[in-house]
Amino acid sequence: MTATAKEALLEIGPDIPGPSRVRAAMHLDFSRDFATGSTFLAASFQQPPLKVVRAFSLEDGGALAHLHNASGGLLGGDNLALEINLGCRTSVQLTTTGATRIYRQRPEFSPTTQQNKVTVGEGALLEYLPDALIPFADAHFQQSTSIDLAAGAGLFWWEILAPGREARGELFEYEQFEMRTRVSALGRKIAMENICLRPAARDVSSISRLGPYRYIATFYMCRVGLGESEWRALEDRLHDFAGSMALRDEVLWGISSLVAHGLVARCLARHGRDVLPGLHTLWREAKLRLYGREAVPPRKVN
Amino acid sequence: MKPGHNLNSSPPPEDLAHLRLLHLADSALPIGALAHSFGLESLVSADILTVSELPGFLHGYLQEAGMLEAVACREAFQLAGAGQEKFPAERWIEINDCLSALKPARESRAASAALGRNFLQAALSLGEFPFLQEAQEVSINSMSLIHHSTAFGLVSATFAFDETRAVLAYLHQMTASLLSACQRLVPLGQSEATRILWNLKSAIVDTSVLSESFTLDTVSCFMPLLDWGAMEHPALPTRLFIS
Repeated sequence: MTATAKEALLEIGPDIPGPSRVRAAMHLDFSRDFATGSTFLAASFQQPPLKVVRAFSLEDGGALAHLHNASGGLLGGDNLALEINLGCRTSVQLTTTGATRIYRQRPEFSPTTQQNKVTVGEGALLEYLPDALIPFADAHFQQSTSIDLAAGAGLFWWEILAPGREARGELFEYEQFEMRTRVSALGRKIAMENICLRPAARDVSSISRLGPYRYIATFYMCRVGLGESEWRALEDRLHDFAGSMALRDEVLWGISSLVAHGLVARCLARHGRDVLPGLHTLWREAKLRLYGREAVPPRKVN
Repeated sequence: MKPGHNLNSSPPPEDLAHLRLLHLADSALPIGALAHSFGLESLVSADILTVSELPGFLHGYLQEAGMLEAVACREAFQLAGAGQEKFPAERWIEINDCLSALKPARESRAASAALGRNFLQAALSLGEFPFLQEAQEVSINSMSLIHHSTAFGLVSATFAFDETRAVLAYLHQMTASLLSACQRLVPLGQSEATRILWNLKSAIVDTSVLSESFTLDTVSCFMPLLDWGAMEHPALPTRLFIS
């Protein structure tokens, strides 16, 4: 076990007892083979239920890894830590093999937690393209994510939050869903999101929050070093796409420049089916504009 | 006349502070607050927000955006609290940068920064205040924004206002300004607006009390529909407001 992974395990709550409680860490280091220009998984530390089987080579020299959770979802009391480091000029796609299910909280356990720590090195590109998070009834989940971008680093990172198991009529029945995300570029914060939803205490469907919509997605598109005018131009361009994808009372898309080095897209949708296709559309256009390359959706292995 | 009060002596400092706070928290203070709807105009334009939903919307607004700004106001206030000899410039920049990062919509972020810049300048025009001067200079030099809530907190501490009273006053003017925007956007009369603001007083107090328990790292703000409105605002064909 690497020192960093040991530290991660200590950080995720060494003092909480419980025989069936899972504390697990996964640490992935990606490097560039400068002879071939391709990215490879240089080092990994994995504890069950977290698993990456292998990193697949992509046509553009990047690497694709699927983040598995062998237990089929996040169980009450699970405390997971994920650390991902992208070396200089690497290119990595990360995805999940399906929606992340967050199961109900058992009263004897602490909240389910996931800590993500990501560093994207100089000139590297990380594309994090997961499926939705689905908090089941009575789930209590806390996620914290910190992403540090070096000079020239790029990021496409989205998160989708479902209202619950919609097909069985389970809407906003989770106990608590917390998500804290920090994106920094060159040591300075460029985006932060702190949400804490407790539907029983505060009406998530209030017009001041989601209104009639049920799904929400946030999509960060960054490339460190581009100037404000370039971001404004891309904002305008993506806004046109957002407008064409919007459907009154069904799905809304908003696009805005961050403080610096990037854009954020926000989606509110009544149905989950509208979210991923829209994210893919924005991703394709943004990647083409920012990198001059086609965005190729990751192959799923399930 | 109040017993014991001599008209020839200086006025009681608490009375003077109270009046000054009322003045700075007046939504008519000429800093441009009435030119912004912070995305509300888009919600009205899209028929998402109607008059009947306004009280509930503003209540939620206080719980979310109000809480965020109250926490920022407190954190800035504490930079210039009693006993502070050197201005903590790095922390001032950090607080404002955090608040900038927490505002996803460009126009709303810029609106908050315009009000903050104007508010600080208005306070600086009232006398010599080294902390405020330094706050303005370090923000400009580090290309950091100055937000309205942080400027209000810092100015309030500089003028020796009570912290909680300052937060309450900030939240009150913030709500009043937004309500004023609503009056220009939807058919909302003076009497009804007055009644809505009157009924929100306890929510303002609740927000202020709860804001003591959070920092900018821990406070939550979830207003995705208003964020969408603010992101969509630049594209509205006809606009009454800058944001």
